[in-house]
Amino acid sequence: MSRLVSPLALGLLITPAMVLGQQSPAPSETPAPQPAAPDQMQAPTAGDTSAPDAPDQIGARPPQPEYEIGADWPYWGGDAQATRFSPLDQITPENVEGLVRVFTYHTGDLPEGTAEGKYSPEVTPLKVGDDLLMCSAMNVLISVDAATGEENWRFDPGVPNEAIPYGATCRGVAIHSNSDAAEGAPCATRVIEGTLDAKLVAVDAATGSPCEGFGENGTVDLWQDIGERVPGWYAVTAPPAIVRGVVITGAQVKDGQAEDAPSGVIRGYDVLTGELLWAWDLAAPEQNRDGPPEGQVYTRGTPNMWTTATSDEELGLVYLPMGNSSVDYYGSNRSEAENEFATSLVALDARTGEEVWHFQTVRHDVWDYDLGSQATLIDYKGTPAILLPSKQGDIYILNRETGEPLTPVEELSGLPKGTVEPEFISDSQPTSAWHTLRKDRLEEKDMWGFTPIDQLWCRIMFRQANYEGFYTPPSAERPWIQYPGYNGGSDWGSVAVDEERGIIVANYNDVPNYNQLVPREEADERGLTPINEKQSAETAGSKAEGAGDPQTGSPYAIEVNAGWRSSLTGMPCTQPPYGGIRAIDMATGETLWDRPLGTARRNGPFGIPSRLPFDIGTPNNGGAVVTASGLVFIAAATDNLFRAIDIETGETLWSAVLPAGGQANPITYEVDGRQYVMVTAMGHHFMETPVGDEVMAWALPHD
Amino acid sequence: MTTLDAGAPPNRSYRANWGVMILGWICMIFGLIIIAGGIWLMVLGGSWYYALAGLGLIGTGALLIRHRIEAVWLYLVVWLGTMGWAWWEVGADWWAELPRMFAPSLILVFVLICIPALSRRR
Repeated sequence: MSRLVSPLALGLLITPAMVLGQQSPAPSETPAPQPAAPDQMQAPTAGDTSAPDAPDQIGARPPQPEYEIGADWPYWGGDAQATRFSPLDQITPENVEGLVRVFTYHTGDLPEGTAEGKYSPEVTPLKVGDDLLMCSAMNVLISVDAATGEENWRFDPGVPNEAIPYGATCRGVAIHSNSDAAEGAPCATRVIEGTLDAKLVAVDAATGSPCEGFGENGTVDLWQDIGERVPGWYAVTAPPAIVRGVVITGAQVKDGQAEDAPSGVIRGYDVLTGELLWAWDLAAPEQNRDGPPEGQVYTRGTPNMWTTATSDEELGLVYLPMGNSSVDYYGSNRSEAENEFATSLVALDARTGEEVWHFQTVRHDVWDYDLGSQATLIDYKGTPAILLPSKQGDIYILNRETGEPLTPVEELSGLPKGTVEPEFISDSQPTSAWHTLRKDRLEEKDMWGFTPIDQLWCRIMFRQANYEGFYTPPSAERPWIQYPGYNGGSDWGSVAVDEERGIIVANYNDVPNYNQLVPREEADERGLTPINEKQSAETAGSKAEGAGDPQTGSPYAIEVNAGWRSSLTGMPCTQPPYGGIRAIDMATGETLWDRPLGTARRNGPFGIPSRLPFDIGTPNNGGAVVTASGLVFIAAATDNLFRAIDIETGETLWSAVLPAGGQANPITYEVDGRQYVMVTAMGHHFMETPVGDEVMAWALPHD
Repeated sequence: MTTLDAGAPPNRSYRANWGVMILGWICMIFGLIIIAGGIWLMVLGGSWYYALAGLGLIGTGALLIRHRIEAVWLYLVVWLGTMGWAWWEVGADWWAELPRMFAPSLILVFVLICIPALSRRR
């Protein structure tokens, strides 16, 4: 317990850093790693030996022992590398048909009042010891018995409905065990989440009681130094990363509101005390490392990280998949720093918050191609590497020490620049020549419908729009087609990697968006106002992202028709499939199999379920789990099915109907020698699946 | 049936079948929608199929309303043309064939059902 300091000492430490705002010794200058206690570390060697030994105090620590995957699912991405691969093999392609439901647990968190139509929980629990540890859509922390589904405890941080940004989402939690704490001491193992109302909350994994030594009674306020508190504008939806005792988080800054928006700052906090150790403000990295000067805030409107970062205990790095600036579809007002780091994977030194390298996937992004997927740590032909999927469908493999690509990156050149801001639009862009999930450009004959009349209408829409293929720039005088749309390619569900078989399993979306810039005058006439000028949160969040976003401060608002629906029928204007799943050979980057994901059973014209069992390939959100026995478990599609797929052939071997949308990553774990597969069925407002509160587990029947 | 004046259209020498009339008007209305959209699409640089198919559908509708057997032949031409065009565009992609062939084939069935109620010109 030596690292737990008294409240007084904590106050002294926090005061200069957070109140006076500067002049306290920067953690970067005094990294304080502790010598590893040999008996408790199966410790990876530190990649960086420059950190001097220092007396025991708050701050970054040496490499921490990593939890092992197997019986447990200790990280959001499965193992510490975020591969979503489980070594369990009790459930096999031969016996998977015999799976039976073991339990259904209801979190009880369902939308009420103004939260109606805004739920997209996307929850994936952790499994540690005998417990499933999770958050609900509104950030209620819950522990459930992993074998029976009985609730152990819950802790409600009291997040109000008005805090919902675009959807009520909590993808998961992180855990940390304090190796110095006595067994059974309060918060020896803690569960940490980021909340929609921008708090970091730490509770005891055993009891659910707040960790008193963490921040104020277990809570750190992330609104600190962000600026005016506008509920819903700044919200955490992803689990934090924990590296060497530093809890690292960004936040979702609700897209498209204004250039003068909350900062995309990334911050690292001491995992035990909640003290701010460093901040990475990409536009002022040195000045604001210990927080902005008094009376100032972190640089407004900068690119944020709303998705899940990847921890690297070995190198002491954290890899941040960055999004775009707050105003997504107009870029001429952005700063050099924004242009440098937007839509990039950024490696920070987790101990100091200093940038080590970054790799940009889009130059001057005006398409909302945020990096949405958590990157995965792999060994690529003997080199420690990181695998990065993008919304454009490109899969990159980078050296994780340097950020150098290990697989070929190609330049697209001579790209159209449009007439809105031709000076800003980049005429060249990188793509992966190793593997991309992206399909060929759209043609008129790809337009769809149910009858010749709605197909004709979509063809007219196609011909009316600007479309010059991939990276067609935004336009105002007429719509433009963005393909792939902002939902991917790969989104937050990320990819699963079976390193033993050398196979990457990637599910993806294959839908365009149909967009148009709206000149400011017209936007004003339509009453498009940013979130901080809205009188109530009634309408916020219920619509698709970008559908009438004001982009205040730029000359244009934005109108996004996500998934490009026909205005006649509500059906997609392009023909299926709208989503697929693919196996990729890690040695060559070649496709092993590729198939549509999702049946037509729930989809049809005018919203009528067609009940067709065919694999039409639906939009999907949520990733896969792969197991050592050669199974891929995935829900994700809008058909509300949870399925097991043979990793060798792509064939569906088993499926179960969920009571609500399964837009979440599944997990697998073991209790008392029995393997379970589990997914949450909670629905998704944007994916238009029914809302639920179910946590469901399956296993083979007892003999 | 009332006797008509000499100046009345000569081909009302059949018994009006309401089913045929309704189908005729449906073809006519859909044909007008499709030809309007089809011309718009042509002007935008798109496929000519819809304008041509719309024309064929209007013709079929007009002939059906007059209970003329030629409606069947004309519609067969439209349907076969549609099939050839659809195959040329998307081949054996059944999801893509659905909007192209389903509704036209449904209309074909109804047109064929009408045959007994249609008259041949004497």
